[in-house]
Amino acid sequence: MNELAKNSIDQAVSQILGMEPLRWTTDVYGNAFGWVRLHDPKDLLLVAPPLAALGARLMTASAYRNDKFGRAEGHEIAYHFDLDGVVVTVSACLSESPPTVPSITPWFKNADWNEREFAELYGIVLEGHPNLRRLFLDKSLDAAILDRLVPLSTMMNGASTSTLWEKVFTGKPLPAWTKGENN
Amino acid sequence: MSTTTYTLPVGPLHVALEEPMYFDIQVEGETVRAVELAAGHVHRGMEALAMQRNYFQNVTLTERVCSLCSNSHPATYCMAVENICGLVVPERAKYLRVVADEVKRIASHLFNVGIMAHLTGFDSLFLHAMEVREIMQDAKEGVYGNRMNLGQCIIGGCRRDIDESTGPFLLGQLELLKPQLDELYGVFERDPLIRTRTQGIGVLSHEEAKRHAVVGPVARASGVAYDLRRKAPYAVYPDLDFEVQTDTKGDVHSRALLRLREAVQSVKIIEQCLRQIPGGPICVREIPVIPPGEAVARSEAPRGEVFYYLRSDGTDTPQRLKWRVPTYMNWEALQVMMASCQVADIALIVNSIDPCISCTER
Repeated sequence: MNELAKNSIDQAVSQILGMEPLRWTTDVYGNAFGWVRLHDPKDLLLVAPPLAALGARLMTASAYRNDKFGRAEGHEIAYHFDLDGVVVTVSACLSESPPTVPSITPWFKNADWNEREFAELYGIVLEGHPNLRRLFLDKSLDAAILDRLVPLSTMMNGASTSTLWEKVFTGKPLPAWTKGENN
Repeated sequence: MSTTTYTLPVGPLHVALEEPMYFDIQVEGETVRAVELAAGHVHRGMEALAMQRNYFQNVTLTERVCSLCSNSHPATYCMAVENICGLVVPERAKYLRVVADEVKRIASHLFNVGIMAHLTGFDSLFLHAMEVREIMQDAKEGVYGNRMNLGQCIIGGCRRDIDESTGPFLLGQLELLKPQLDELYGVFERDPLIRTRTQGIGVLSHEEAKRHAVVGPVARASGVAYDLRRKAPYAVYPDLDFEVQTDTKGDVHSRALLRLREAVQSVKIIEQCLRQIPGGPICVREIPVIPPGEAVARSEAPRGEVFYYLRSDGTDTPQRLKWRVPTYMNWEALQVMMASCQVADIALIVNSIDPCISCTER
């Protein structure tokens, strides 16, 4: 484990967030993983500059719902940084509606794609992003596609024809539901 | 004299590889002035799928993220699951995982340099590189029963052992490969055609490599000596003797040579593994209980760092499984590499990041 990198992350983060401790875990190989939780996403603007000054690299950002099935509202984003082999994950709770988060592209250039990706998948609003185009999803698709539950039956009805039912009901009148009228 | 610039659409099909990425390129005469990328042509929604499958099914799913680094994905995913539930993989399985990873690395690197030869118009060298790669394809088929997806990783270990028949077979294939790799390196290093087309082309400086956070051979060829096998060691890499390959030129040529040198190191790693591998079980027999929590795992795939973030809510399917592949950051660095390049070099430069689009878009 790179003690030097671990200590500098520890120092930088605790200076900003006061006495709130950085939680550390290690894997079986002794690699260190730091975990920080931000209750206000705006604190990202405080954490990002010192991490960038240390020379940390943004690996990626993982947005997720607090509850996978949306039974409870709320999203979180975990930003994963690497400093010379040590990983630190900074999670921000997005409690506003719609979920809003400041962009960290001024300090981490490669945040551009990562932020655009979670913005389109979860409908998260980015503040101060220089290039807010769609990344992977087409403009015609609604945002927050990963927040939606699309039942397989709905999806298949949209994509299939009535050929199958015409064969099943050969010689008989087709029931109305086979024509997809009440989908 | 007119100074008109034109927009040259490149892609989405047939830029270097038969995978879709669209480049909107502003050209002035034959010189590239600006590059815009448009992705999303093969977005598969695999991260959404992963949240609907249980932890075991996801091993199979992640193996299908990418064909060329198809062992790195399930291996890293399994590492994330093992991190979250504190599962310790048997020593023998760690060796087997390294062997599978390195076999795939050799085949992947040979494929990439082969395509580079093809793009320079040196098709006989392309065919030769593919023939050399075929030695590793045969090795994979002989040892794992499959030429691309090895199906080797499972949560808690490996699926297939290397025994007294497949071990010597694999070593024999490596013996066949070694002289061929040396010869190939010599051709790529000295051939005037290869050198003219690739030296000083697609340069990425050390500063730009850092700024774009690129990883893998692209970073290492620009002097960023970052290799997870040394920086954040996993499996049995701390016990193995190999050198992290770096260069400072940061051009298309140096990236290709670096990949070939890495393939030579991989041969060395596999040989050591087969020599040092201890006896014992190859997987944990128990079915692990996956508690609520979160874990990160990383490994060095052929193209660089593969990153997995797993979040569990205590059910049998992940609350979130997110992965980031090495190509993801390397795309944007193309804007630097292609600055003021010639139109004829576009495909060569794109290929030099060893792009993987099915990986990027998942």
